[in-house]
Amino acid sequence: MGETANQPTDRDDAAIDADDLRVTYADGTEAVRSVSLTIPRGEFFGFLGPNGAGKTTTIKVLATLLDATGGGVRVNGFDAAESPRAIRESIGYMAQETSVDEELTARENLKFACEAYGVPRGERAERIDELLDLVDLAEVADKRSEDFSGGMKKRLDVATALVHQPPLVFLDEPTTGLDPKARNKLWEYFRAINDRGTTIFLTTQYLEEADQLCDRLAVIADGEIVATGEPAELKRRVGGEILDIELAGDGEGDAADAEAAAAVVREADLLEADATIEPTEDGLQITSQRARSRGTDVLVALRDAGVAVTGFNVRAPTLDDVFLAITGEATGEGADAAAATAPDDPVAGEVSDE
Amino acid sequence: MSGSDERTDGGTQPERSVEATTPAPIARSGNSFFGDAWTNFKRWNLKAVRNPFVLVVSLVQPIIFLVLFTQVFGGVATQAIGGGSGGSISYETYLVPAIAIQVALAAAATSGVGLVNDIESGMFEKVLATPMNRTAVFLGKTAAEVARIAVQIGIILGLGTLLGAEIATGLVGALGIMAVGVLFSLWFVSLSNALAVVTKDQESTIIGANLLQFPLLFVSSAFLPLDSLPDWIQLVATYNPVTYGVDAARAIMLDRDVMTVIEVSRFGGIWDTLVPALAVLLALDLLLGGLAVYLLGRASSSSVR
Repeated sequence: MGETANQPTDRDDAAIDADDLRVTYADGTEAVRSVSLTIPRGEFFGFLGPNGAGKTTTIKVLATLLDATGGGVRVNGFDAAESPRAIRESIGYMAQETSVDEELTARENLKFACEAYGVPRGERAERIDELLDLVDLAEVADKRSEDFSGGMKKRLDVATALVHQPPLVFLDEPTTGLDPKARNKLWEYFRAINDRGTTIFLTTQYLEEADQLCDRLAVIADGEIVATGEPAELKRRVGGEILDIELAGDGEGDAADAEAAAAVVREADLLEADATIEPTEDGLQITSQRARSRGTDVLVALRDAGVAVTGFNVRAPTLDDVFLAITGEATGEGADAAAATAPDDPVAGEVSDE
Repeated sequence: MSGSDERTDGGTQPERSVEATTPAPIARSGNSFFGDAWTNFKRWNLKAVRNPFVLVVSLVQPIIFLVLFTQVFGGVATQAIGGGSGGSISYETYLVPAIAIQVALAAAATSGVGLVNDIESGMFEKVLATPMNRTAVFLGKTAAEVARIAVQIGIILGLGTLLGAEIATGLVGALGIMAVGVLFSLWFVSLSNALAVVTKDQESTIIGANLLQFPLLFVSSAFLPLDSLPDWIQLVATYNPVTYGVDAARAIMLDRDVMTVIEVSRFGGIWDTLVPALAVLLALDLLLGGLAVYLLGRASSSSVR
């Protein structure tokens, strides 16, 4: 697409600049304790965290749907407290729940959005056709959206957020509840939009999603950003690759067996000093710089000690591991999603470059 | 919380200097307040046409009332009203203005349901995220509902005429009755929307508005002259908005002063009914309209979910 209108301008101000953003609800809940973010134009930014971490609250403040109780927010150069309407004109917003008018057709939903965002009358028809093509809904353009599948509704929802060619789009957990196929399809659109120069702010609890799409990530937990960086950079923080070892178990004394196995590995002294060796439900998880080079030696050591190994796998760390390393707790749903869509080895270089 | 409504200037500025980098606002294609209202007016009309259920439901019950009441009670009631307020008019003619008000009441009750649906489907928030003027958004929706009410009253008047009712003031009177119905509907539209915002629940909104409908209708001047009803009903009817809506519509229908709850004689003819009735309805509209606007404003400046 040869669009240039959405390219970052020569202004060096960021798409989003939040400084010590805080939101405390009337009942005293501190949904966001302190979030500071600077997101350059054109970036595909991922905001990652478990349910209730403060992702949606943050996105609502940035989209001017909620007032911050403290701190400063600038979006596309406009101050959120001063000129919320100017911000609304310059952003697209897609809420977590699919929001389309089911009584209207796809085309009518887009037409309403065009009028709401003040797309010039003469450009509307062309714009609508272009977007229907982009999200593959051209063939059902005049069907009522109540008959659409969940994925189709989401795509229509995305399209309505793009009618005015906003330089910045907020996507709040856009693929939650979609099957992997629909999810992959949406990812393609998001990449295409971002390739045209649109800044994307995406929240997700799917680590795999952030890994696949984002240039840069921030991890939020309990209303505070606990880590920021490129996906590859964050993964490096885990401290190496991961060797999962599955031990034979009969359901009795497995934990003790795993502890014993861990002791065997430590005794063998095959890995660097800061490698971690942790018992898991099924056996051991070893995180080490040398997981790949010394993995077989570890297995041999275990066999020599009479420990029955039933399976093993060396893999690059996923963002799930990152999350675990940073917050000390698993994401739950994120883990499921990662397992469902990414069984093995996301290669770090592939996601971070471009 | 400093509210996030249409403020484009004058907000207080925390901890940052604005002057330095505030860029020129991005120009829209000049959507005006009325442009925004029109956009929403069209959307809600389209929805009403797409979902005729709402349209039909709020018409069916009043039509059943109209047909059954005139057929079952017609003979008896015609005598009752003849004895009550003098003159010789048919019960059809007497009842049609009341049914017109019933339609307004039933249709207005669905207004909040539309709002709840929008809140539940996320469209409410989606609209709030657009740069449209929020007052214009609600104005457009209300205008669509009010237009629908006018059409529905028109249908009732047509049907009533077919059944033998006579509008003494003719076509102008028919338009007048539609106008009265619209003015009457606004307080109930407001109430229904207020219920919707407070409960955010479809069932509660429907039940709340429907529970009120029948007591309001029966304990008023709608179906029989008040002086033929028990004292307590006469008392309650004095404070019942339906009485004022029905009396105003009926005064136009019969071309004479029909109001008994407030005796006014300074304006002459039907104006002795219309002036006080419309004044009461207008006051009520402003009161409940203000409440609804306040609640909607509060709901949209924080978070509805």
